[in-house]
Amino acid sequence: MNKIRKQRLFNVFLIICVSSLGVFFILKALNSNLDYFYTPSEVLIANIPQDKRIKIGGMVKKDSVDRNGTKVIFKITDFENTIEVHYEGVIPDLFKEGSGVVAYGKIRDKTLIAENIFAKHDENYMPPNIEISSG
Amino acid sequence: MFKFAFTDLNQFIYMEGHGIYVWSVFSIVIISLVLAFIFYNKQLKKIKRKHSNE
Amino acid sequence: MLKKLYHQFASPKTYVVLVDKIYPIIFYTSLITYVFALIWGLAFAPSDYMQGNSYRIIYMHVPASFLSESLYIAMAIAAAIFLIWKVKLAAYIIKAIAPIGALVAFLALVSGSIWGIPTWGTWWQWDARVTSTLILFIMYLGLISLHSSFTNYEKADKFISVLVLIGSVNIPIIKKSVDWWNTLHQPASITLTDKPSIDPSMLYPLFLSMLGFSGLIICLVILSSKVQIFNREGNKTWVKYHV
Repeated sequence: MNKIRKQRLFNVFLIICVSSLGVFFILKALNSNLDYFYTPSEVLIANIPQDKRIKIGGMVKKDSVDRNGTKVIFKITDFENTIEVHYEGVIPDLFKEGSGVVAYGKIRDKTLIAENIFAKHDENYMPPNIEISSG
Repeated sequence: MFKFAFTDLNQFIYMEGHGIYVWSVFSIVIISLVLAFIFYNKQLKKIKRKHSNE
Repeated sequence: MLKKLYHQFASPKTYVVLVDKIYPIIFYTSLITYVFALIWGLAFAPSDYMQGNSYRIIYMHVPASFLSESLYIAMAIAAAIFLIWKVKLAAYIIKAIAPIGALVAFLALVSGSIWGIPTWGTWWQWDARVTSTLILFIMYLGLISLHSSFTNYEKADKFISVLVLIGSVNIPIIKKSVDWWNTLHQPASITLTDKPSIDPSMLYPLFLSMLGFSGLIICLVILSSKVQIFNREGNKTWVKYHV
């Protein structure tokens, strides 16, 4: 490889390194803002203003779901802390006890008055009969 | 492994209410692919015509 | 000897002769593979224990998402080759890939949005995975429009190549977004290190659909690169005999 090409190769590396570094610092600065939701533990530590709409994500706590028509009350857990959620409206098909959920709304007295509920599914795909046999 | 996953053709199209989502994605992908192939083949034909006219 | 080989390989003429030879083989094998994979995935693979039948969108969504990233990596490699060795063919390839990358990224976004309706309960959320994929789509569009704004081809090729390299930072971000931040999108099901978390009866058609779709997209890139070459080298005599 001649000298000019070596120089150009170096330039290519330089471009990649500098832009990676730049983006790294931007992401570092934005870090918590890039998270899509708070976990229940984060909500309890952070002082979130009453009027601010936030998203809280975690698992739907087992045996916590109380459905009454279109109204539903349940608890979101990250297996350390839980937050109670009150919601009225369309519930996604995948909303189930023990599976992922993200609720969007305002905090009132340590409960979330949700305006929207999104289901978060996991990365496992399998036929229904296998799930039953494996527990 | 190759057992038809639905009881009949209607069930296959309906997919327990999810058919609308599955089939709309299916049509968008297939139509896009077909249109892209037609577009590029047409462009190449146009270039060919230009060269044979010269 | 090596130098001669390298000059020959990098020449648009050799490229056109070569791709003309392999095009029909790639096209028909990948078409058959893709059709077979979609029939398998949509009609014969079992439904999912959680998502039921809506998961079948995976056979269209994952190949498109995978290709939207792979095409960008291919563009970045071509950009490096162009900047280091000044191979013109590499610059043509970048320009050929950009619109197809945009199409595939668009398909990934649309299929993901439609999939989100029955599963997540929303068609659009600004989580890190969705947003970084949207940025990828916009970058493809930007590259297309930038190229047409230049009057000097040589300058445009160089400028675009540098931009493609800078933008390649986004690819690891898309890949890792589901691990670095909490997102609505689930983590990867297929990784290089772990056993896939998809049952084999669903995984085989998925692999085939990725293979077939990739082949079809490669065919589109071949066609698009020929358009680029003939447009840019149209005044050369060899083009007359190879269009």
